This record gives sequence, structure tokens and C-alpha cells, in this order.
Amino acid sequence: MHKLTESILDKFSMDYLRNQVLKNAYGNDDTVIAGLDPRVLLVWYLFFGLVPWFLNDLVILLGLFIFVALTTRAAKIAPLVLFLFCLGVFSQTGYLLIAALFFGGDASTVAPLLVMTLKVAVVSLASITVFSGLDPDRLANGMLWFGCPDQLSFSISFAYRILPVLMEEFQNILLSYRLRGNPPAKKTFPGKIRYLFYQIKLIIQAFYPLMLNTAKRSRTTVEALEIKGYRYALKNPTVKKMKLAMLKVTRNDGIFAAVSIVWTVLCVLVSAVSPL
Amino acid sequence: MSKIEIEHVTFTYPGADAPTLNDLNLCVEEGDFLAIVGNNGCGKSTFCKTLNGLIPHFIVGDMTGSIRIDGVDTREQEIGDLAKRVGYVYQDFENQIVCPTVLDDASYGCLNYAMEDYKERGKNALQICGLSSKISDYVWQLSGGQKHLLALAGAAALSPDVLILDEPIAQLDPAHADQIYEILKEWNETYHKTIIVIEHHTEYIARYCKHVLLLRDGKNVWQLPAQEAMRRVKELRRSNIFPPQVTIAADRMAEEGLVPADESFPVNIEEGKAFFGKYLRHLPESTRMARTPGGGESLVSFRNVTVRYRAVKGQAPRILDQFSLDIRKGEKIALIGSNGAGKSTILKMMMGLVHPEEGSVLLDGREIKDFSKEEVGELLSLVYQNPEEMFIQDSIRADIAYAMKVRKVPEYEKRTEELLAQFRLTELAERDGRLLSGGQMRRASLAIGVALNPKILLLDEPTANLDIATRREVMNTLQMLKGITNTVVIATHDMQLVCDWAERIIVLSGGYVIADGPKEQIFADLYVRSQVGIRPPQIYDMGRALGIANPCFTIDEFIGYFKEGEERYA
Repeated sequence: MHKLTESILDKFSMDYLRNQVLKNAYGNDDTVIAGLDPRVLLVWYLFFGLVPWFLNDLVILLGLFIFVALTTRAAKIAPLVLFLFCLGVFSQTGYLLIAALFFGGDASTVAPLLVMTLKVAVVSLASITVFSGLDPDRLANGMLWFGCPDQLSFSISFAYRILPVLMEEFQNILLSYRLRGNPPAKKTFPGKIRYLFYQIKLIIQAFYPLMLNTAKRSRTTVEALEIKGYRYALKNPTVKKMKLAMLKVTRNDGIFAAVSIVWTVLCVLVSAVSPL
Repeated sequence: MSKIEIEHVTFTYPGADAPTLNDLNLCVEEGDFLAIVGNNGCGKSTFCKTLNGLIPHFIVGDMTGSIRIDGVDTREQEIGDLAKRVGYVYQDFENQIVCPTVLDDASYGCLNYAMEDYKERGKNALQICGLSSKISDYVWQLSGGQKHLLALAGAAALSPDVLILDEPIAQLDPAHADQIYEILKEWNETYHKTIIVIEHHTEYIARYCKHVLLLRDGKNVWQLPAQEAMRRVKELRRSNIFPPQVTIAADRMAEEGLVPADESFPVNIEEGKAFFGKYLRHLPESTRMARTPGGGESLVSFRNVTVRYRAVKGQAPRILDQFSLDIRKGEKIALIGSNGAGKSTILKMMMGLVHPEEGSVLLDGREIKDFSKEEVGELLSLVYQNPEEMFIQDSIRADIAYAMKVRKVPEYEKRTEELLAQFRLTELAERDGRLLSGGQMRRASLAIGVALNPKILLLDEPTANLDIATRREVMNTLQMLKGITNTVVIATHDMQLVCDWAERIIVLSGGYVIADGPKEQIFADLYVRSQVGIRPPQIYDMGRALGIANPCFTIDEFIGYFKEGEERYA
């Protein structure tokens, strides 16, 4: 038991989180999904992220769920994100479903809950496919094409540049607190609670030095951006055109769109003939 | 017409009492390779920022006088146009990299200035910088040295005529430092670019630069050919610049009348051979025996440890493979090896931050896994490479007191005062650590590190990013540790620090310990030297070149061989 808690704690270190964030953003740039045109994926997302909310047909939803589950698999999503997804869906509606089953709910109570759970699951998986399947740069370019401001797409890409650095720094600051601090004893139950609060307090306190350090480092970044012509690019429409020139709709995009449409149509047809 | 003409430039930062640049006049010719030297705060960086137009376009302040590049005043040009003429690489180059992938970052400037062939330009620059194989990598996969090359490629992709670098080799091992300077040399000679470096490493100045500009209080003291500049030992020393060791040795010997003062001093080993060879008095034959480390009790032991990275993609690379090591009480250990050899990992394992996949790490005979972080904190103390991460309170005093206060150490206030005094921080006690100078930050981080009287002190690159005067300051601070903490482990590239301080040197390469012993043994081992690219101080190689069998690690030892009739080693 001791070993188990230790291994879980070990897994959940900042180091692990950092690795997962990176993995999620860049570890899957060779998948089919990552190779698709971001514009096609964004349109695809518009459908799979919105339409399920308006559907109440169990069969169609189930069909869509299977489909987005397959795309998620194709996108090779990092385990942490999938875990968070499961946790999210469960905390939204899943626990009600289980509770209903336990306390003697029959098909009539379970069905609406299942519909709700499926809706949430389809939309979440579609979001995960698009937002973590694509690498941030391509996503940013796709959004740029749809008229999102330059600043937004730059922020996305810069956030991914700076995030690993920030997480490492946060880890070190937190460590400074832990090594030099003196936590309450955690033998008794109240002690355990106090220890938990102590940990939370440290995490909150650690943000303060992190922000000051970030402020200090950003001075160079701002000057470097100026030299590298960031402000010029905002004013110059040619730059935007050049950035977007890399976006190309390929055969794979066509296949992906066709499969999505055929699958959806099939789901609707099956639903029409099925007795449910 | 000169490439750069500066006339009567005075610049004052807003709110500052005195001007940073004070009636500065100078010219830089096209194709020059200029080194700018001067003590901290003499206006070197400010001067460089006036050249690329950040001053006065971006950083406002009070500026008079004129700066002309290719005959055009910088005030009449936009930063964008200037950026294509003058490239700039910052000292904290990591913050200059703004894109997640290598090629994107190298071509980012070209893209922003709407150059159609931006990808090609980025690729070319990367190729010249020797990063061709890394083109599709992500920035966080690069080592420190490679990041620096990337920052350089990003500036060079715009193909500016003038390239300015602020302390380009401050945190690189000698092999990477050579690489950077070879690239600059190629640019200078093959592509006829004008290169300006702010540099403290005078051996590199003597080897690569054509001219040297000495700044003091924002004024041009002199601008001389590099060799001649290096011979002005006294003036350089006044500005806290240390000329090459052979030059210092010659200067001191001239003062003591061991060599004639009117002969021109050597600035490198080749010249040194001709210069010193004539005067060498005696070559002792007996070789000094290296002191073998004593067999005190073992504080930390690594037993057959294997560690891997967490990989983002593919197989996890091994950092250490079946690694074993004992650290005994009272040892002064330097861990050396090229970037990525596993030095930091070893320090982190001792703190229990990284757990080995196989094998075990024992601290005081107990498995380190069984300690809580707080317990480890009382036995061991780690001072990070980046001192900012040690400052968790809003003043130095509070930071030093923090660990003792929460542990309810009796009379902690008194001990805090003692530490402040011992590390010469009393004056700065109320300031936030982040706002101190580089050397002050290191002193403060050391004081924080020893507050709990740890049994072992671990230092990660304590002299990285510091100019040479500040390095000396850190070395003096290490002497202050005497009596507080006797067992110290330092991971470092700084061979001067290793020579002056370490008693046991452990050389890492490819996950193994390839050498372990005192400095005499390590530096004499040419195989080890070629494997990890470590380089002893220049005076050591000078002694070797003259045929002195006993290694000399300091200038005093070296000069000893030129004195007559003295028994040096009893």
C-alpha cells in the first residue's frame, strides 16, 4: 500500500505534468490528425462540438461517440488528458448514471442520463481531438485564417514556448519552499488535514516569486520581439498571407471529411430503422 | 566612411542621476571584429542598444549626439530597418527565443519583415550555426549551448552587416565556446560582416578579435588593436578585466625584474614559448605527488544507479548507466563534463528529486527514498543555478531567516545577522533578491543555502553567467564556507574554479565516471581532456609547453620557476 501511494505521488509530480503538457502539444505531430489542414478540422469541430447538444437520439449519439473516440485514438492523446476527460464526464453526469443504476433506476431513468452523458462525451472528445491533436502552431494558423486577431494566434504559440520554462521554474520555487519549510506532522487525522492545507498554501505562495521572475525575464523578450519585427508583421497584410500559405487542403483532408459525413449519415439511417 | 560613427553621444536613463553614456566618440570600420570591455555598469550593453535603435526608439531616455550607421542617423530610421542592418544577441539569450520550434524561431524575424524566402534564410543561418540536424526539433529539446546558437541564427537570418553579441560564451563549456567563436570568425572573414562582442574572456579576445574598445563611465578610454590592448595589463585590471594569464605572468615578472620590461608581452601560448623560454631558470625533475583523497566516512553513496529521462516521444534516453560513487565527509568535489552529461541529475538524485530506475542512493546509510523532503533539507542543501528561484520572500533577510524561523531554531535572528555579516549582505538585507546584481545574488543564495548548517552543500553552476570579477567574488564566498559546511559538491564548467578550489574532480561522460581524482591527475590525462572538452587554465598549458613537468595551476607557481636559488617544495 505504501509503495502504491508513493508511486502515485511520484507520477503526479510537476515533472510529470510538464512532460504531459509537452507530450500533448508536440508528442503527436506525426499522426493522421496532426497532418490535416487546421481549417478542415476547425469546421469539423464546429459540427461535432455544436450539433450533439441538439440531438436526443441515443443511436446517433452513440454512433458519433464511437467516431470521436476513434479520432481521439488516432490523435494519440496523452494519458493525463484522457484521465481528466474521464474525470470531467464522470463528475458532470456519469455519477448520476451510476447512482441511478444502483438505486433501482430502470431504462426510463437511465436513458435520458445516458443521452446527456453521451452529449458531453462527444463534445469533449471532439475538442480534445482538435485542440490537442493539432500542434499549437497549426491550430493558431487555422484560427488566423478564420479572422482571429494575430495577437491571439501569437499568444497560443508563445504560451507553448514559455509553458515548459514556467513549469520548471515553478517546480523549483515550490521545492525551495518544501526544502526550507517545516510542515505540520501528518500522523493523526487533523494533522493530515493541516498538512493538506499547508501544501495548498505553499502552492499559492509559490506563484508570487514566479510572477516576479517572469516579469524580470519578459523585459528581454519584449525587446527581442521588437527587433524581430513583431509589430511590423501586425501592420503588414503580406506577412499574414505568407503565414497562411503553408495551409493546404490535401487528399487526406478530403478522405477525413468524406468519412465523417458518411459515418454521420449512416448513424442517422441506422437510427431511423432501429426500434429505439 | 566608417561603418559606424558615434559622435558626442550622451544617454541618460529616465530617473537616473548620471548619464550612462557620457560624450562617447568612436568609429567602427567595416569588417572589424571588435571586443568591448569594461567593468559592470560602464555602459557596454547600453551602447550596443543604441546601435540597433532600441535606444532611443524603444527605450526612452535623454539622448544627445549622433549615431550613424552607413552614414545614416539611427534616429531617422525605424527599428525595423535597423534590425536588418544590425543584429543583436542578448546575454540572457533564452528569453530571446520566442517560437516553439527551431526553424520557426530562426526564420521568425524574416517572416515578420515579409521576406518571401524566409524559410530558406532561416535554414541557411541554422546551417552556418551548425544546427542543421536540429531543424525540426523543439526549442526545449536543445541544450544550453544549442539554444545560444539558435539565438545567434535568429539574429543572423536577417543577414545584418553588423552583428552584436552580449557575453556570447558566458555559460558554455570550452568546446561550445570555441564553436561560437569559429562561427563568428567565419562570418567576419568569409562574409565580411562587422562583429561586435561584449566579452570578458580575454583569451578569446586575444585569439579572435581585431580591436578592443575599453569603456569606463560611459566614455571611450581607448580603442586599440587586440594584441596591444591585452598588453595594457594595469589599465585593464583597473576596470576589473583580467588579461590572458600569460600576459599577467609576464607583467608581474617584469615588475620583479625577472624579464626586461621593454619587451612586448606575450598574449598567447605560442608567443609565450618564445618569450619565457629564454628566461626559464630551472626545471625540477621530481614530480609532485598528487594528494590522494582521504578515506573519511561516506555521506552519500550511489550504488549501480541507472536513470532515464522522461521522453516526450520514443525511447527514453539513459542519463546514467550503472553509476556508482561515494562522497565522503570533508571532500571538496567538482563534477565536470560537457552539457547534458548528467551533472544536474546527480545533484537532484542526492536531494531525492529524481529517483533511480535501478540501484539505490544512500544518504547517511539510509535509502534516500525514505526521507521526506523536509528531512533532506536539513542534511543537504542545493543552491540552484538560477538564484532567482531561491528567493521566496520579499527581502534577503527574510529569505535567510525563513528556514530557521519555521523550524523554530532558537535565536534565529542572531544567526541571520551573523550570516548577513559573514556574506557581506548587511547593507542589502532589506532588498528583494531579484533586484541585486549577479554577484550579490550568488552571495545571497549561498547564505540561504547554508542557513540550516547542512552536512553537504550542493552548488549547480555557481559561476555561470558571471563576469570574471564576479567569479572571483564567488570564489571568495566559497572560502567563507570554511567552518560552516565542509563537504561541498559543485557541478561546473569553470576550470579556474575547479583548479583553485576542488580537491577531488569527477569527470562524467556518456553516463559514466571516466575519471576521478585530484586535479594534477585529471588535467594530465589527455584522453579525458579530449573526451569531455575540459580545458585547464592557460597557465597550466603554458607550463607544459615550456617543458615544466610539475603542473602549475596558478601564476605564482609559474613565476616560481623563473626565480633563482629558491627551494620551492620542501
